[in-house]
Amino acid sequence: MSKPGKYPVRIPRKTLNRCFFMLLVLILTLQFQEVLGVQRFPRPEFESGYVQPETLQPSARSGVLAIVDVLILIISLAVVSWLVIKRRSRLLVFWFSLFSLVYFGFYRQGCICSIGAIQNVTLGIFDSTYIVPITVIAFFILPLVFTLFFGRTFCAGVCPFGAMQDLVSFKPQKLGARMNAILGLIPYIYLGLAVLYAATRSDFIICRYDPFVGIFRFDASFGMFLFAGALLISGIFIARPYCRFICPYGVLLNWVSRFSWKHLTITPSNCIQCRLCEDSCPYDAIDMPVTVKNPETKSATTRKFILICLLVPFFTLLGGFTTSRIHETLAKVNRKVALTNMLLETSNNKDQPESIDVTTFKSSGKPISQVYSEASLVLKQFYTGSWILGCFLGLVIGITLAYRMVMIYRTDYIPNKGTCFSCTRCVDYCPVERNNEGLTK
Amino acid sequence: MKQKIYIAVALALLLAVVLFMAWDMFYNKSASEANPYEFDMKALRSGDTLAVMYHEVAHFTPALASIHGIAVDKNDRICVCGETGVEIFNSQGKKEAGFPLSGTATCIHVDEKGLIYLGMQDHLEIYDMTGKQVAKWKSWGEKTVITSIATMSGEVYLADAGNRVVLRCDRSGNLLKKIGEKDPARGIPGFVVPSPYFDLGIGNMGELWVVNPGRHLFEKYDPDGNISATWGISSMSMEGFCGCCNPSNFAMFRDGSFVTSEKAIERIKVYGPGGEFKYVVAGPESFIEGTKGIDLAVDSKDRIIVLDPEKKQVRIFVLKTSSK
Repeated sequence: MSKPGKYPVRIPRKTLNRCFFMLLVLILTLQFQEVLGVQRFPRPEFESGYVQPETLQPSARSGVLAIVDVLILIISLAVVSWLVIKRRSRLLVFWFSLFSLVYFGFYRQGCICSIGAIQNVTLGIFDSTYIVPITVIAFFILPLVFTLFFGRTFCAGVCPFGAMQDLVSFKPQKLGARMNAILGLIPYIYLGLAVLYAATRSDFIICRYDPFVGIFRFDASFGMFLFAGALLISGIFIARPYCRFICPYGVLLNWVSRFSWKHLTITPSNCIQCRLCEDSCPYDAIDMPVTVKNPETKSATTRKFILICLLVPFFTLLGGFTTSRIHETLAKVNRKVALTNMLLETSNNKDQPESIDVTTFKSSGKPISQVYSEASLVLKQFYTGSWILGCFLGLVIGITLAYRMVMIYRTDYIPNKGTCFSCTRCVDYCPVERNNEGLTK
Repeated sequence: MKQKIYIAVALALLLAVVLFMAWDMFYNKSASEANPYEFDMKALRSGDTLAVMYHEVAHFTPALASIHGIAVDKNDRICVCGETGVEIFNSQGKKEAGFPLSGTATCIHVDEKGLIYLGMQDHLEIYDMTGKQVAKWKSWGEKTVITSIATMSGEVYLADAGNRVVLRCDRSGNLLKKIGEKDPARGIPGFVVPSPYFDLGIGNMGELWVVNPGRHLFEKYDPDGNISATWGISSMSMEGFCGCCNPSNFAMFRDGSFVTSEKAIERIKVYGPGGEFKYVVAGPESFIEGTKGIDLAVDSKDRIIVLDPEKKQVRIFVLKTSSK
């Protein structure tokens, strides 16, 4: 019998661990060589008539390849959903996730991805001049659609980020409900900021802080190399740290998955309360049975209800007010605001060396008043945006607290529809399942 | 207990990741103020000081407004050329003679008869030690930039950086052969000279060595222009040459060893006759950052005479006694 806390697959775990560790070391070694190769030398002095070409943006995937990508995404989602819901096979899901890592990660170099597509879609909504490509819309919508039907099967075997982290999850530890709840707020903040910055045309921060794209492209900067390294090392003990505690797209999947039509179940039949699956989930995504030993009195329930009714709006307003106070700090990310700050600093402190941005601006001949008025407009947008962001975060905190106050009775061990990645690890632990397969102990 | 440590470490890393993102987003000033196109070679400039086997024993300052070339004659007299003049010093750095020029000489060579050959951008001028002009050759064209001169067996070899070629001439200035032009059929790759630093010299066996700076190679040619040997490696390490075009200058010892100088990472090194790295003579810490065109000469006592154009000094380096 497998020990609780271990997650068996049918290839010896030790062999797999060693292979993946070596693969990881190889990838990181290649990365480090890139990191060391960024020094530059003075240019040649002879004039050769050579004209420095303008910097080009990498061209988008051709029309046919883009369609192929979307088709492969649809097929992948369908296959993984089938493997999760019908075959209930951890091993096959695992191998499929490796394919996704190679195709969506290393071959397609992680772009466009569903996570980053949040920003394109947001920009498309707020900026009428920006047309969101169909591929981007497909990458944004399709995983959500499949999640609505089958739960987070996208996370289980299609997302290359998840696959990458699964490879290093050698010793996953349980964090506990409280820690999960606290860290679980980070993705909401990240999502809120990503939407705010995309809506104000400031930055695509999800792409800027994409930890794995540098690995997929073998061109990570030193900072991002450390960033990804820290996440992967942390991922040895905390399974899928990015997916659980950073990924903004995970927030949307979490919401949608709660309404999923046919979600993965631990047991295909009736739960026999054997408790074998209790420690099987490295993501703490199994809801334990809550027995009715001490049912709440009616007055206690009423008090809780009133408290929640007060608490949620209070946190919402408090969040909005507090965040609006820091809208100027939030706006620093915007280039126009940043340039204005630099210009003000330079004019206030003449001894300070001029930054390249200020020098470039001065050489452009643009009037300084224009930059100030543009920055002022952006600040106004940020003021409104930070109120909305704050209210959203306050609402999330309020609901999280309220959720912890509410006693939800359940009799079986069931995957939490919101946080479960449908990885099917728990399925292997269910003796009911094994009986069905003819593997009775 | 072990589990708690695992969780604490992992949480600390996760927290570090999140804090890094927040700091970088809102407080990282360097990201917005730093010039991403600025050259940063600090890491490469720090070398292994243990490999420095020479020390500076003397230096002196010529009176020329700027100095460009250095050569040593058979009596170890040091000749320096530069802006509108040539100065001649004895081996101890005491000035013995000098004469003015109508223009700026960018390179200098003294032959076995004591005649001074001066590269004047596009043409050559020859003087005796008293400053009397012996000959003035015709211009080789406006694209010509003469950066090095050598003499052997009554012939003169000129390194023309502008045309990326070595000119083999007789003493009257008649062209005998162009050496080093790209010729794949003869296995000649052609000189890659992105900057006006293109040096040549004659080895102890009478062979012509030319630096191919863009390829970070020394190439050996015979008088007919056939390439017979090369050495050099492109590397960021001390043993190799790096940047767009290095080494910028070199000189040769009597035993066939090479002393080389580089720009960008200002350093002087000694290589054996086969091109094997031997010592560092002076590292970047010995020069003002940005020093270019560190010309070299070696006298009969194997002292290395270094022309430092930034400090406007002639500096003399000898092998440390302990290393002998």
